[in-house]
Amino acid sequence: MEIRAVTKRYGQADNTVTALDAVDARFDPGTFTAVMGPSGSGKSTLLHCAAGLDRVTSGEVLIDGVPVKDLSERALTRLRRSRVGFVFQAFNLIPALTAAQNVVLPLRLAGRRPRPGEVAAMLAEVGLAERAGHRPTELSGGQQQRVAIARALVTRPAVIFADEPTGALDARSGLEILRLLRAAVDRHGQTIVMVTHDPVAAAHADRVLFLADGRVVDDVAGPVGAEKIAVHTARLEESAR
Amino acid sequence: MTAWAMVRHRFASFAGTFVAIALGVAVVAGSVTLYLSSRPQPPERYRASPVMVQAPSVGINDYGEPEIRSWTPDELAEVSGRLEQDPRITAAIPDPFFYVQRQGTADHGMARLAGHSWSSAALGGYQLATGHAPAKKGEVVVGASQGEVSVGAPADEAGATAGLVPGGTIEVLTAVGPETWTVTGTTDGPGFYVSDDDALARASGVRVIGLTVTGDQEQVADGAQARIGGAGTVRAGPERAALEPVEVTRIRWIGAQLLIAMVTLGAFATVFVVASTCALTAAQRRRELGLLRTAGATPGQVRRMMYAETALIAVFAGLVGAPVGSALAPLLARPMTDLDLEPPGFEATWQPAAAGGAILLGLIVALAGVAVAARRASRVPPLAALREAAAETRSMTPARWVFGLLSAAGGAALLAAMPAMATQSKTTAGMGAAMLLITAAALLAPVVIGPLVRLVTAPWRGSATGMVVREGTLTGVRRVASTAAPVLVTVGMTVLLVGMVATINEAAGVDEAADIPAATVLAPDGTPGLSEAAVRGQAGSSRLDTRVLVTHGAATTGEYAAGIAGSAVTLTPEAAGEVGASVGSAITLRFADGAQTSLPVRRIDAGAAAPVVLPRDLVRKHDPDALTSMVVLTGEPRPAAGARVMTARGYAEEQVAEEGDLVDLFLRVLIGLTAGYTAIAVSNTLLMATAARRQEFRALRLAGAGLGQVLRVTTAEAVLAAVVGALLGGAVGVFSLAGVRAAVEDELGRKVALMIPWDAGLGVTALCALLAVGATAVPVLRRPGLAR
Ligand SMILES: Nc1ncnc2c1ncn2[C@@H]1O[C@H](COP(=O)(O)OP(=O)(O)OP(=O)(O)O)[C@@H](O)[C@H]1O
Ligand SMILES: [Mg+2]
Repeated sequence: MEIRAVTKRYGQADNTVTALDAVDARFDPGTFTAVMGPSGSGKSTLLHCAAGLDRVTSGEVLIDGVPVKDLSERALTRLRRSRVGFVFQAFNLIPALTAAQNVVLPLRLAGRRPRPGEVAAMLAEVGLAERAGHRPTELSGGQQQRVAIARALVTRPAVIFADEPTGALDARSGLEILRLLRAAVDRHGQTIVMVTHDPVAAAHADRVLFLADGRVVDDVAGPVGAEKIAVHTARLEESAR
Repeated sequence: MTAWAMVRHRFASFAGTFVAIALGVAVVAGSVTLYLSSRPQPPERYRASPVMVQAPSVGINDYGEPEIRSWTPDELAEVSGRLEQDPRITAAIPDPFFYVQRQGTADHGMARLAGHSWSSAALGGYQLATGHAPAKKGEVVVGASQGEVSVGAPADEAGATAGLVPGGTIEVLTAVGPETWTVTGTTDGPGFYVSDDDALARASGVRVIGLTVTGDQEQVADGAQARIGGAGTVRAGPERAALEPVEVTRIRWIGAQLLIAMVTLGAFATVFVVASTCALTAAQRRRELGLLRTAGATPGQVRRMMYAETALIAVFAGLVGAPVGSALAPLLARPMTDLDLEPPGFEATWQPAAAGGAILLGLIVALAGVAVAARRASRVPPLAALREAAAETRSMTPARWVFGLLSAAGGAALLAAMPAMATQSKTTAGMGAAMLLITAAALLAPVVIGPLVRLVTAPWRGSATGMVVREGTLTGVRRVASTAAPVLVTVGMTVLLVGMVATINEAAGVDEAADIPAATVLAPDGTPGLSEAAVRGQAGSSRLDTRVLVTHGAATTGEYAAGIAGSAVTLTPEAAGEVGASVGSAITLRFADGAQTSLPVRRIDAGAAAPVVLPRDLVRKHDPDALTSMVVLTGEPRPAAGARVMTARGYAEEQVAEEGDLVDLFLRVLIGLTAGYTAIAVSNTLLMATAARRQEFRALRLAGAGLGQVLRVTTAEAVLAAVVGALLGGAVGVFSLAGVRAAVEDELGRKVALMIPWDAGLGVTALCALLAVGATAVPVLRRPGLAR
């Protein structure tokens, strides 16, 4: 999982915003990386580009070693489907489908039939075995996020990208989500890249990447304590001013 | 799985598509059921004669039907004789028919078929109920019903024969005049049965011989054909539908025109409405589709899912709509016969092909309608799931431009080509052009919606409502285009149809007024025409109507002919051109009785009363059943049964009014159909569009807007959509109308006023606006709370 000299500009001609400015980053297998930075620093953009959700202006993106530049939309979707999982802040689930149907969706889309018990096991792993038949509107925000994680994990992707997965949750539900992600890294060697604002959340990661104005300004290898991250963040915001 | 779950979960938002398809399928199923039910059928009177022989066909008439000539009496005897040599044929029975109606009844187009020979009762298996068969002229066996309606009383089968018992008398009218017949018996068949010789003497020739047979029908039919060779055409089983009398077929033809127009317009409205609701649904679901894409759906999978969803909806809607349409069709059968659009006895029967075809059509139309939306949806980027508001970026796509401009060009070309077309195709071409232009307007609507909205909202720029409405419509141009689309069709079609008829009437009205002499006329009164007795002794000129077959070279052409007392053989220039005749040359005529003669043409006159004008006596000699349409009186009228005296102007006005009534009826049905359907679509799309924006209105309320202010916004938006649709529709309607007028002017060779139906146009616009406002208010008022 790697991006090389990636630049991303939005808008046209005289009205452009450079969201990412020649960013290089590598996410090694089995690592949990947190991406932090002030609002508008390009965190989400980095995630979208690295995941192949958005095309880059220049530079190169490799998903599981495959350069995405020349892939068709269809081929890219297939690659994403099998190698990348997503968890966003909210609105992850298709309202029409039950929890179990949402989890099985990527497999079905890939034309794969889930092994017996596979989906149930996945839901059990996130603690929602009893809620398989419920629709998203019947689940709490934290439970919805857990279903989203189960769905991201079900294809055993090379990497999971999470954009503020705890952003809309209270501290307790947020902690459950972070424990689930940590467990996936520790138990299954899952690679995870997570954008967050919260130093406590970032403290669960092995490494913290700091972004500012579309550039990587710091790369701290962990485990890093929450206080240390908070201090770091404060200093960055100070220097940005 | 996904498609099914989506449909089940979001049924409310698919309800719009569902309703649109179900209604369209119902309309198409209903009108096709009527159409198929009204195809010619073997006449009931021939039910006991499985194999029949029709006189030879000599050409094709203007309606595309074969032109059948009568056998001469000699030929008839010869053919019957040859048929009866076959031992499997038990009887060969000629079937002459003639005009007869009971005095005091009004004819509804069937009296000319009411008189029969007694032997032909066997073709329907009819038996004597009482009394005995007619033996000589002046005797009659009366049927259970006579295909007529008593004056002042509703049709009553039992009442028609009331008081008729063997030994009594009956007063009738025939081509000869009033007659008093002796009733010798009654039968369960329809009409009047006289002796065979009498019937043959009264009929305008014989064109059908019915056979009663034993053994295998097919073999008998083949054998019969071999025996008679070119002297006739054998028709067996269902083929006997070809023997339906022209009078009946002609009535069916009028009904069929209306039904064909209904099917065409119904199908068009369905395609149009379904396509725009499908596009709207797809636009509303950007976010959900984006989610599917992040979950790993390829563009192709998204597309296939949308097709699957639509197919599901379409099949459900079809399964609801088709039975409803089929069930409603029989309710229309009676009004259609009452209005003389279908022959008496017409019944809408269960037509599986109509129901199945309508369901299939609904499915195809829905899939076609969703095709563009699905293509677009499949290009929704996964990131769309992450964007909060689904504000559109681009409202015009290249495809919209291409198809919009192509339709516009096609419509304009059709209008331009109209003057060169045959008269019958002109209205069709006008409607086709309007359909193309309406499609073009709907596709290109986003281009004009922006400027139009800016212009219309300019006075309210300062107010909060003005700002919200303006920005709401400008960022949702496609949504506005979708909601304006049904208004566009409604207004466009109404303006065109009403304006077209008004323009043509205007042109025709001038024509009629021009050449009506200030005379009195003797006109039929509840009868198909004047009898010989009514005409005889009147001081004035009259024409005896018949049809002749003119043979020229190897071809034969049927022409309407008039017998005028003292007239020489005269042709109109058109008729002369058709049959290649000139003054002095001989034409070969075959009359209603099958006799053929050659006559020299004396005059060619553009003002002739009919394409072929002949001496009256000659026509009467060969067509005993011919009737006179009217007498232009020069002296005092002599009262006669079945005739009334009126001014020539009054008569002409009545004729025009009758035709006008028919046109009005067509108009009302067609406008009612399109406008009704699209009006439902107006409420439908606005309901969908507003329901999907509840979040937005909730945000508006949270920002401090009162419920009243929100309603003001939705109302303004609804009115705006209606106004946009009406302006575009009106423009298309007037543009097509101008094309139609140009064609009419070209045909008449003079200027014709353009009749723009302002009141009809404004009326439907107001109706649409009202529906639109109501439809937007419902979802807002239904959940006025602020909680999610
Ligand atoms: N679709 C877009 N069009 C134009 N500009 C965009 C778009 N998406 C992001 N931007 C701009 O790019 C920059 C980086 O945005 P990004 O969403 O990556 O920030 P972020 O770090 O995720 O911020 P936050 O913490 O607030 O989520 C911002 O200045 C933003 O305005
Ligand atoms: Mg962000």
